[in-house]
Amino acid sequence: MSDQAAESDLLLVCRTITKSYNGPVVLSDVDFSMKRGEVHALVGENGAGKSTLIKIITGVTNRNSGEMLFEGTAIGIEHSKVASQSLGIAVIYQELSLIHGMTVAQNLFLTKEPRFRAAPFIDIGRMNSLAQALIDRYGFELKATDIIDGLSIAQRQTVEILKALNSRASLIIMDEPTSSLTSSESAQLFGIIRRLKAEGIGVLYISHRMEEVYDLSDRVTVLRDGHNVAVLEKEQINPAEIIRLMIGRRLEERDALHTMCRSNAEVVLDVRNLCSENRFNGISFQLHAGEILGIGGLVGSGRTEIVRALYGIDRFDSGSIAYLGKPWSPDVASSIRGGFGFIPEERRLQGIMGAISMTGNIGITNLDVTRRHGFVSAKKELALARRAIELLNIKPDNPDIPVGNLSGGNQQKVVVGKWLIRDLKLLIVDEPTVGIDIGAKEELYQTFARLSAAGVSILLVSSDLPELISISTRILVLRQGCIIQEFADGIVTEEDVLRASSGLVEGAVR
Amino acid sequence: MSVVASKARRLLADFRLFFILLLLMAVLTMLSPMFLSIGNLSNVLWSVCIIGIMCTGFIYAPVTGGIDLSVGSMASLSGIIANVLMNNAHVPLALALLITLGFGVLVGLVNGIVTTKFRVPPFIVTMAAKTYLFGIAMLVSNGDTITIMGPQGFLTIGVGKFLGLPIPIYIMLVLTAASHFLLKQTVFGRRAIAVGANEVSAKLSGVDPDRTRIIAYILSSGTATIAGIVMASLTQQAYAPNGAGYEFDVITAVVIGGTSLMGGTGSVVGALIGAVMVGFINNGLNLMNMPASYHPLVTGIVILIALILNQGVTLPAILRRQFGRKDAPK
Repeated sequence: MSDQAAESDLLLVCRTITKSYNGPVVLSDVDFSMKRGEVHALVGENGAGKSTLIKIITGVTNRNSGEMLFEGTAIGIEHSKVASQSLGIAVIYQELSLIHGMTVAQNLFLTKEPRFRAAPFIDIGRMNSLAQALIDRYGFELKATDIIDGLSIAQRQTVEILKALNSRASLIIMDEPTSSLTSSESAQLFGIIRRLKAEGIGVLYISHRMEEVYDLSDRVTVLRDGHNVAVLEKEQINPAEIIRLMIGRRLEERDALHTMCRSNAEVVLDVRNLCSENRFNGISFQLHAGEILGIGGLVGSGRTEIVRALYGIDRFDSGSIAYLGKPWSPDVASSIRGGFGFIPEERRLQGIMGAISMTGNIGITNLDVTRRHGFVSAKKELALARRAIELLNIKPDNPDIPVGNLSGGNQQKVVVGKWLIRDLKLLIVDEPTVGIDIGAKEELYQTFARLSAAGVSILLVSSDLPELISISTRILVLRQGCIIQEFADGIVTEEDVLRASSGLVEGAVR
Repeated sequence: MSVVASKARRLLADFRLFFILLLLMAVLTMLSPMFLSIGNLSNVLWSVCIIGIMCTGFIYAPVTGGIDLSVGSMASLSGIIANVLMNNAHVPLALALLITLGFGVLVGLVNGIVTTKFRVPPFIVTMAAKTYLFGIAMLVSNGDTITIMGPQGFLTIGVGKFLGLPIPIYIMLVLTAASHFLLKQTVFGRRAIAVGANEVSAKLSGVDPDRTRIIAYILSSGTATIAGIVMASLTQQAYAPNGAGYEFDVITAVVIGGTSLMGGTGSVVGALIGAVMVGFINNGLNLMNMPASYHPLVTGIVILIALILNQGVTLPAILRRQFGRKDAPK
């Protein structure tokens, strides 16, 4: 594939890129190339090295070794974000980077606003007409003077793309661009991507959604554990094959962990036909005592939304919930009183109170235990904190330390610990091990197993497939807000779950 | 890190403010021998009691991550309302004070509801309140300075003495103790700190952030009302612009006292020390016969120095950060 003729078409060439973050090797000898006007999908499981490769290409982080050429020019090891932008590499992240309160035109021309010739002031009229010309050229339904706040997510994404086009990008990288779009919006985006391709712009597309990859891409690069395991040409692309390549051959001995089983224990939670517009639809399942029910599916498939509704954070439109045999309309305070625990995703934003001590973080969910007529017993509170520290082996073991100063793993242990010391019946965990070290991960898994053995039911939402499969005793896979498949017996492989998440189900249940 | 060393460091951090206060007192004692007399110290406490009383409730606004700019106007207005009730409507003293306090609570409730339920930022809501409360004060008092001639019981609040100390000092100390206890020892205090530290996390832990914030604004307005009653009694005056600018003195005291305006931390005792420090500075300048026109300049500079000292950031550390080798990107 690397004959002389093809070489001149290449937009980006990466050779033997290696990167390690203080020890563990994240990318090893990765070769990667993109042609002009190509839509190239980059796929791989969480942790396969996709984002690291993107960061290296865009100069957010530097590689340890390897060569990189962009449009024939060599890029040194000391690459930077600014340099990559001026070369014509643009990224559209999942969290969009537009400035609220400003107009589309202002965002498009940020820091390079057209000035008057006579005076150093921004020529707003010219800026707006230039922006409108750009918008019209691509036929988008936007006005240059629209304020960002009033636009939908899809429209904002369009503005991001325009911004890239305005800075004459020849490579646009899109990180999970459809995760928050509706299907019609996605279709629109695909139209735009084809348009970009026709203009000779290379699009590097990262997605977990196999059908998109299948429809859209000219080539697919599969990463696994930091290695480039395959580059598939258009005619070789096939979702099942991609999934097989992403996962590879895993050790058979782990199969024992992958065995699912139905539970006959008492039903703790009985969810019937739960619906919430644009979030999830017709969700029905039963959760038994001591069960660890995994909820799989892609980001945006409604996993988090369902558990939030069950805990009482968000309202749902219709359906019913029975908890321990009684009808239950959840709100957070009564859920906690009733024996629920909730470990949210995004530990820093939702889980911890960083500036506050461990005692404060643990105490806040246990005020019902430590209070007496509105007063809090500091002694009882400290005793609870110490118990949590001991139960979960939190380091350092000083309860006065602000939680923000702990390592990620220990922060998460505090979030778990504040529930663990309660009389729990049901623990809801959403992505519990993101960004924490292997040791802390293993300890949390053991904790979940201990809880389950003691009869506590656990609802586990996770994108980490090995985690989901090895921890859960039963798995529900969601897709577009609906339960698409249930794995209740036999051995389940990562491939099975991924295929279900991507909609490749042979005998779909329910 | 050994336990002893960490304890010593914490002690130093906890009492850093107190050491700064001692430092200030030492400097003032050297500058003026009159400074360290019982009479003078009691005078300083008396002069800061209005700010001190305001701080005890105001602090819950920043602790929960908000701000209350209406406390100054609230204080002036409450003096005017109390005077109208007592001297025009001839309502008995206790009832007049209760009604005034009730009005303060109502204002706090409105501030709280507008910020939490209508999602208007507290800075704006309380700035509006500051303006309309001043407006009400001007209308009710006709813009006049009203001299309050009675009743005697009312005047005693501000100028009466008990065991040689003015009564407002007792009010300030009692409210400080109560507020300290409320913040550190009660369910509400825990919730207020949690909401300020991370509203989402607090909500997921079963705290109702809106309710907590509404109570915070009620406390802030309520103590501003009490401060206003003390102020009116102390000055024997009801005058709409009397409380102007107090909100900034209160913010200064609270911030010197180590309360973050970002929420999640707070020290009522620290705020009292902060108020006393501001009082000492003004007092010291008076004792040194410095012309009044220089007072704001010197006060501002001394407050700035106190805040810098209290942050515990040293000049070498800043220089190192500014000119040292940059860390490799993570």
